[in-house]
Amino acid sequence: MKDLLEYIIKSIVAEPDAVKITEENSDEGLLIKLEVAPDDKGRVIGRQGRVAQALRTLLRVKAAKTDTRVRLEIV
Amino acid sequence: MERIEITAATVEQAIEKAEVQLGLSRDQFEVEVIKEGKSGILGVGGREAVIRVNPVTLPEKDAVKGVTEILDTLLGLLGVPGKVEVLSNEIPLALDIKGDDLGILIGRRGQTLASLEYITKLVVVGRLKAWLPLAVDVAGYKKRRRDSLQRLALYLAEQVKSRRCAITMEPMPADERRIVHLTLADDPDITTQSIGEGENRKVVILLRQG
Repeated sequence: MKDLLEYIIKSIVAEPDAVKITEENSDEGLLIKLEVAPDDKGRVIGRQGRVAQALRTLLRVKAAKTDTRVRLEIV
Repeated sequence: MERIEITAATVEQAIEKAEVQLGLSRDQFEVEVIKEGKSGILGVGGREAVIRVNPVTLPEKDAVKGVTEILDTLLGLLGVPGKVEVLSNEIPLALDIKGDDLGILIGRRGQTLASLEYITKLVVVGRLKAWLPLAVDVAGYKKRRRDSLQRLALYLAEQVKSRRCAITMEPMPADERRIVHLTLADDPDITTQSIGEGENRKVVILLRQG
């Protein structure tokens, strides 16, 4: 899950070195926390959350393959 | 290469907006100022600035190779076995993903496919440093959908004419609504409109007045 997100995010931000992704398992499935440089926050959220929404959709595809649930939090 | 026009209160703001929208930095596109902005008094009489943005282009051969690799990588990371096939290596590039059991990549009303296409475009901009118009399809889904939407639109237009009443279609994403509008654009007796917001936006087919 992390590798997919990392590839996409590092491609679209201006500061790839500032990208931090952590995964946490809980009863409700996998929780992914994404941290980027303050100036990159707009890029990973997008206008009206369009990028974030597309990221969540793709993460769900991967989660469905392994029969889990996934949540993405941008912090 | 597609040119994009952007409107904002001032030229600087328009350039900033272009950077965010394209995901490019200032040195990756040329800016042509069409209209300077003017600030009005208390927001009255102001005029918005309009700029035209030309992203720096990439040779087509490199573009095809780069885009195919990116899409391949994304599919690999998604864990979906699919083969990327280039349908058009001229701009706009057209790619189709072939394989078995790819319904998961299409999603409800093609939403997953739309997300995949959008993310692919963003990754392409980020990695190749050029904005490329491109279309991603999965097992010919969009093509089939276009054909059936065109047939449906023509059928509904006939219904509108014979029943003398407007017909509202199911909510659809923007590119699908566009297909309906374009299909019926030449019909002298019919007009089409989009109503509703966001996810719920849908096309109404109605008789042309007068």
